[in-house]
Amino acid sequence: MQALLSYDQSPPLGAPLRFFLTAPLFGILAGLLLLWSGPEALAARWTPAALALTHLITAGFMLQVMLGALMQILPVLLGANMANPMRVASVVHAEITLGALFLVAAFLSFSPWLFKLAALFSGLGVACFVGSAALALHGIASTNPTTQGLKLALLGLSVTLVLGMLLAVSLGWSLNLPLMLLADIHLGWGFVAWGVVLLAAVGYVVVPMFQLTPAYPGWFARYFSFSALAVLVLWTIAEFNQWVFVSAMLGTALVALVVLFAGVTLSIQRRSKRPRFDATQHLWQFAMLSALAACAVWLAARTFPLFDGWTGWPVLCGVLLLFGGFMSVIVGMLYKIVPFLVWLHLQNLGQGRVMAPNMKKIIAEREMNRQMLAHFASCALLLLAVWWPLWFVYPAGLALLVASGGLLRNLLSALSVHREHRLKIESLICADDLPLT
Amino acid sequence: MESIRNLMTGKHRQCDDHFVAVEQAVARSAWGEAASAFNHFRHATLQHSALEESILFPAFEAHTGISMGPTQVMRGEHAQMRALLAAAEIALAARDVDDYSGNAETLLIMTQQHNMKEENMLYAMCDQHLALQLAELLPQLESGINMRELM
Repeated sequence: MQALLSYDQSPPLGAPLRFFLTAPLFGILAGLLLLWSGPEALAARWTPAALALTHLITAGFMLQVMLGALMQILPVLLGANMANPMRVASVVHAEITLGALFLVAAFLSFSPWLFKLAALFSGLGVACFVGSAALALHGIASTNPTTQGLKLALLGLSVTLVLGMLLAVSLGWSLNLPLMLLADIHLGWGFVAWGVVLLAAVGYVVVPMFQLTPAYPGWFARYFSFSALAVLVLWTIAEFNQWVFVSAMLGTALVALVVLFAGVTLSIQRRSKRPRFDATQHLWQFAMLSALAACAVWLAARTFPLFDGWTGWPVLCGVLLLFGGFMSVIVGMLYKIVPFLVWLHLQNLGQGRVMAPNMKKIIAEREMNRQMLAHFASCALLLLAVWWPLWFVYPAGLALLVASGGLLRNLLSALSVHREHRLKIESLICADDLPLT
Repeated sequence: MESIRNLMTGKHRQCDDHFVAVEQAVARSAWGEAASAFNHFRHATLQHSALEESILFPAFEAHTGISMGPTQVMRGEHAQMRALLAAAEIALAARDVDDYSGNAETLLIMTQQHNMKEENMLYAMCDQHLALQLAELLPQLESGINMRELM
């Protein structure tokens, strides 16, 4: 009941927006890193530049938007209100931003101090967020797949972070830990339990909502998150015990679950009632196709020893998943969430007397489409750069810079519409001599 | 027995279908068809919110004694939806595709997140609190309202 009574408690606009506006800056840094490091960034999975690039996208771009979106989703969809959302947002945002920057600098320099600082700030930031979210979620029953999925995703984030901190601490203090094994498990938890489970939990709501599709099938929504987490736990046990065959089978089962998620999403998206696809729908579709391609690469490497021997295949998988998959879907979601939040905030500010500009006046459709094409071009160039790094890594870096700069410009244009319209409302309401609440 | 949640959720989906019919007609530049589909959409949406505000919400408020809680939030969102509906109607009459699609997009997201709160929380609470009045309430919610009485 408490949740029901307070479910209009949308946090202040600044709480999610600071995360959303910071994310493209990490995309810009990733573009600059490609230009600075050249072919090394895509040469193999373990080069310092490849690790730095990966974490600019995961601990930088993705984590920023995912936590910012959760600041909004938890109270609005679940009725889980965080105490002091602005304070939590300010502290978490500063800590995870510094944590990601220290981590990237640590990979590039291998300075033990930077690894220690990265572990400290990322750890504090995520712990602060997960703690506040857990308090807000306390007493909220897991009655629907989205609530269940979000709770499991927060658990997935916590495990990913602990493993990541362990790796950073191990590098910071030169501890003798099995780094390769821990890194694989860190990746597995980050990708499946945090990334895919969170995306599915949010997808159950936003895919039908934004694209007017049928709902995800009941059996899928009910069991997907639990199945993914259960298989992941078993796979982790098998990896630790070095049960090679069992681990390979469970790894294949995890990839099959990702294929299922992408397949079901594409299938319901095909049944969208809307007459034409907009940028968000194109980006979701592109993301799911990229995920399927990444799964095909992984399965090919497991099946054909010759392909497995090519050092480029994990990089190919990473590019498909991070840039083609997560980055695409996140940009698509930002193009609905940011204009709607700005509209809602302005509409409330206008107290029903001053109409807010509609969503397409907040971010123009033409600009979203142009940025989407730049993003697709950057993904294509990154894929080509995996095969021909000398030829394509610089155009890919440049394209990533342009696409991320375009995203930042589009989000800033929403902020500028907000500022202008707010001033208009203030002057109109002051003219009426009525207080602005 | 039918529940408030099932009945009212079904009405939300009918409104979605009307919305899509307008969007499809606009995409084909079939303006006459779009205007007619928009009238159906507008009527269905206004009638649904009127049913809630005149029958369902007062029954919930009388039973629980809560009048400044979720029903008040829903009334506020209905007002925002009516403002967007009016803006979309003006844009459609002017055959301004960009303005219509901007207002329609905003209305769609506003409506969908509003519907979700009702379907996931408020209707379930109504079914729980108004269980003894269902036999009386459901036919009223089913039959609808003569919109002229509300004008």
